[in-house]
Amino acid sequence: MEDGLSTPVGTRRSFFVKTTVFISSLIGISLAVPLIGYVIAPAFQRRPKEWVSLGKTDELPIEEPKALDYSLTEKDGWQEHHATKGVWAVKQADGHVTVYSPICPHLGCGFRWDQQDRLFKCPCHGSIFNIDGTVKAGPAPRPLDTLPSKIENGNLLIQYEEFKSGLAKKVEL
Amino acid sequence: MASRFYQWIDRRLRLKPLEQTLLNEPIPGGASWNYVFGSATLFLFGLQALTGMFLMVYYVPATDHAYDTVQYIQHEVWGGWFVRGLHHWGASAVMMAIGLHMLQVFFDGAYKRPRELMWIVGVILLAMMLAFGFTGYLLPWDQNAYWATQVGINMVGSVPLIGDFLVKVLRGGETLGALTLSRFFAFHVAFLPAAIVFGIMLHLFILRRVGPAGPHDEARAKAGSETFYPRQVFMDALVMLGVFGIVSILAISMEFPLADRANPSDHTFIPVPEWYFLFFYELLKYAPGALGPLATWLLPTLFFTGLLLLPFVDRNPERHPSSRRVVLAGGLSFLIVVFGLLGISLRDLYAVPKRDPSVARGIALVQEFKCQTCHRIHGEGANLAPDLSFVADRRPDRNWHIQHFKNPAAVNPGSFMPKFPLNDQQLNDLTSYMLTLKSG
Repeated sequence: MEDGLSTPVGTRRSFFVKTTVFISSLIGISLAVPLIGYVIAPAFQRRPKEWVSLGKTDELPIEEPKALDYSLTEKDGWQEHHATKGVWAVKQADGHVTVYSPICPHLGCGFRWDQQDRLFKCPCHGSIFNIDGTVKAGPAPRPLDTLPSKIENGNLLIQYEEFKSGLAKKVEL
Repeated sequence: MASRFYQWIDRRLRLKPLEQTLLNEPIPGGASWNYVFGSATLFLFGLQALTGMFLMVYYVPATDHAYDTVQYIQHEVWGGWFVRGLHHWGASAVMMAIGLHMLQVFFDGAYKRPRELMWIVGVILLAMMLAFGFTGYLLPWDQNAYWATQVGINMVGSVPLIGDFLVKVLRGGETLGALTLSRFFAFHVAFLPAAIVFGIMLHLFILRRVGPAGPHDEARAKAGSETFYPRQVFMDALVMLGVFGIVSILAISMEFPLADRANPSDHTFIPVPEWYFLFFYELLKYAPGALGPLATWLLPTLFFTGLLLLPFVDRNPERHPSSRRVVLAGGLSFLIVVFGLLGISLRDLYAVPKRDPSVARGIALVQEFKCQTCHRIHGEGANLAPDLSFVADRRPDRNWHIQHFKNPAAVNPGSFMPKFPLNDQQLNDLTSYMLTLKSG
């Protein structure tokens, strides 16, 4: 007897071929959907936004930027760690407070307040900002990033956010 | 579209001859449901490799993070419980598939000349799969992982002369800890996979060189032959779908929760090995005293030596079961012993009451109130107050503990232990835990 003599032919053969392809696709898709979702899911997760208190506003000097530090528990995937963050707060004469992210909108360095020149200066690439956040000089493509803030019972509350650097528009990360 | 693309590739790479070799291998006697177990094993191995790689996306093999990352996969990552479920149940399924595959080969006498090498490589693959099971079990770093691995490693310690040395090599030192976890991880995800892929390729290479054995019935073998593709491939695919369906349903319906985080000082935990090691676990109970060490290393050694030598011991060329009564009776007795022990073990496991949940809450209270700031329990904690490792030997009375917790100085004059604010349930839970702290 020759090899392969009873191998199915014709429509019988094509039934086996088609069913095999169908079954393989079924297994493939049933695996691909959960597995791909499992890997890409973190990309769709927004970090939870919480209002954090930075203390009483009456302690802030008027028209004088003040670096405010606060600590929080950050959830980083399966890890939780305590972090200290700093932001810049500027209180206006009318009591309104503007809070700036401490990160330069150019390429993400931390900028400083120069008391003598009364300007925010970034040491990395020389971006310079006025006290109202507008760009005075240097490569920065946009004004300093403000953070959502509100005042409740005399307490300054903010939501910490980070933004993409190097863009003319403020885009949240 | 797909076929035009294939033709484009084929004109350049000349795939047709390769396709011919791969798919048109003749199967003596034709395609059969008897031959699906090898493919099912291969499929499940692939599923393990795939889900394993995906688990590594979030898993961290360090003692202070492993447990958290597995919990994270189980409870927080989208689909994580399913991926972990597939890997967990897939591990059991691949053991079953290997068992069935070996039984079929054994029953059909397919290990005989000229297929001895294929059988030997297969036995080595079995040992590797068991090593996968053993190394993988530790990785979640929960109580079960820790204590079952502790037992497993101690069994290796019973090997004469080199036992102690082997134990230290396995642990990466004196104790089961950080170094053990990283080396088990490296073996589970790098060394073993590399070795087993080579082994599987060799197994398949030998299959293609000697050809499939076909049915043990000469007449049927001669009656016809058909190519591997499409009917055997179709049968294999259908079985793979069935196997995948079963593993998925198990993963969806039977979550496999972690035990508590590994706690080397909690000696109350009773570890249970995976079911495929259970018969052996049971067997050890029947090996008294001096025989114990022999059972822990000699029996497994004999088992694997026996399997490796089988094709050379059983040299009768006859493959039909009716002419191989002695060998088949031997195989059957082995199966009866294994399944008998497995049955007894399962029955006993379900008969044993689970650990009193009150004890677990008591352990949590000990941590919450930081009792080990003063007390030592099994080597952990300070030595300012009495060691509690075997406190129940000295104080077996439940009421004594409860009164003592309420007001230590009243029961034990001069005691500087503070009065902790405990409610009735906490008093009970803490006492339940204290009463488990006894020798023997």
